[in-house]
Amino acid sequence: MENPSNLSFDARVDRLNKIAQELRMHVVDMVYTAQSGHIGGSLSAADFVAALYFDLMNLDPANPGWADRDRFVLSKGHVCPIWYAALAVRGFFPVEELKTLRKNNSRLQGHPIATYLPGLDASAGSLGIGFAQAVGIAMEGKLMRKKDYKVYTVLGDGEINEGIIWESSLAAAKFKLDNLVAIIDINNLQLDGTLAEVMPTEPIDEKFRALGFDVLKMNGHDMADVLTTLMKAKRACSGKPTCVLAYTVKGKGVSFMENQLDWHGKAPNEAQYTQAIAELKGAA
Amino acid sequence: MDFAAAKSPTRKVFAERMTARGDTDSEFVVFESDLAKSTYSYIFKDKHPERYFNMGIAEIGTVASAAGMAAEGRNVVVCGYGVFITMRALEAIRSFICYPHLNVKFLSSHGGLTAAIDGVTHQATEDIAFMTTIPQMKVLVPADSASAAAAFDIALDTPGPVFTRLMRDPLFELYGPGESFKLGGSKVVRKGKDVTIATYGDMVFQSLLAADELAKQGIDAEVIDFYSLKPWDQATLAESLKKTGALVVAENHQRRNGFGYEAAVWTLMNNPVPTELIGLEDTFAESGSYPITIDKFGLSGPKIAAKTAALVAKKR
Repeated sequence: MENPSNLSFDARVDRLNKIAQELRMHVVDMVYTAQSGHIGGSLSAADFVAALYFDLMNLDPANPGWADRDRFVLSKGHVCPIWYAALAVRGFFPVEELKTLRKNNSRLQGHPIATYLPGLDASAGSLGIGFAQAVGIAMEGKLMRKKDYKVYTVLGDGEINEGIIWESSLAAAKFKLDNLVAIIDINNLQLDGTLAEVMPTEPIDEKFRALGFDVLKMNGHDMADVLTTLMKAKRACSGKPTCVLAYTVKGKGVSFMENQLDWHGKAPNEAQYTQAIAELKGAA
Repeated sequence: MDFAAAKSPTRKVFAERMTARGDTDSEFVVFESDLAKSTYSYIFKDKHPERYFNMGIAEIGTVASAAGMAAEGRNVVVCGYGVFITMRALEAIRSFICYPHLNVKFLSSHGGLTAAIDGVTHQATEDIAFMTTIPQMKVLVPADSASAAAAFDIALDTPGPVFTRLMRDPLFELYGPGESFKLGGSKVVRKGKDVTIATYGDMVFQSLLAADELAKQGIDAEVIDFYSLKPWDQATLAESLKKTGALVVAENHQRRNGFGYEAAVWTLMNNPVPTELIGLEDTFAESGSYPITIDKFGLSGPKIAAKTAALVAKKR
């Protein structure tokens, strides 16, 4: 991978935008091939996942267990297509393997299992549990090993309905986990409807501030904003965990999927697949 | 049979052994959910505060964060009550500790009706069913101080998740200091030839009392302490049944899906013998004193003796 620190900020943004589109195409391809999987929330998370994996996180794909690496836990584990795509393109395993998603004997389980695949720092798929594991991983890094690597975790906005989020947030503040960065993907749609319909959750910023987090906000599809905000989160050392509210669009990048509840967990047919790839290629 | 009274409940002995191991083993940590004064994990905290984390009254978060730390390679002991650990946090244990085979050990107090005085919300009477059913989980139930201390060592030294069911109140002592215990082991605590009583935990004492009662009736019962419930010692049970030809399983747990189901099915598949299973009969218990409660719900020595005598009569 080219070293992004040698690039100008604008060049980093351009590069990450291209990578994010590439990841999106992999996501569409994987879910189309498997005829199963979660596409909408993968596409909403694509830009900041690209920024983390291809610019901000300290990683070594040749040594996935490197002790001082930054950690990443996809707490909204159902959108693992975007995680798998990022790991494969980053070199943790062959890109061709992406086509095995959800198939028998595949390392790419329907929801991610850490012991199956290099680069997965924790299993996830049961909402809320990934975040709590990230808290444990951050406790290990900060309190036991006294290292300064970061622990990034990505939550769905619907996911914060779960009580464990609030339990574990209290613990993150108690233990002053400023090595923890929780990114909430606010695409405003959960399985049964909008956040306001299913379970009114706003104001999310005030809730996390009250829990003891530093709260940052970004447009999750404006790569300059994403990069600037996550760089700030990476530098955090205030004694508080960081919560980044990423305002996004579910299905981002494919016109007929954007903001459509249906595309939470639906696979495209051939015509839809062709159109989706064409749109993503056109924008890349 | 006269038993020496135990000075401490098994939960405290386990915590004391955990603390002593912590003096020489600096690699494991302890997670608590605000029950330190009850699980006795405060003894560890006083000695090793830098390796002790009170996660608040939040059992699912406690277990899931323990999984996160364990995923980093750390040994974590999670302390709590059986009802909360095995039911509130069950899914986190299954999918995020047992499935990835992580080194998380459970100090699980208030097993069965040893917590009788606290009432049903605090009596873990389904814990063995849940814990023995999850793949990769190992399950221990010590009956006294020597086996409780040994259980901590076995738990810490066995790779992967280990659940240890412990008692709220001190009961009796059974084993001397030189006794050795191992994963998958059992102890024949009374030899006999007419019937085998397979049991564990506090029911070992009630089964021995039952054996005394049965002796008066001319029935010679063998009593086996299956302190390791998963894996369990099939060879010892087979050998005993070859001799006695009748099986009673007595447990402080729901009769359904407890150790009785495991042992009886195994026996049925290998060498069927007349069998009686003793446990809670599809019912919740109630609060009250331990001896009165176990007797009311059919788990006392006299109740075990009566059911065993009836089984032996059938066999003859």
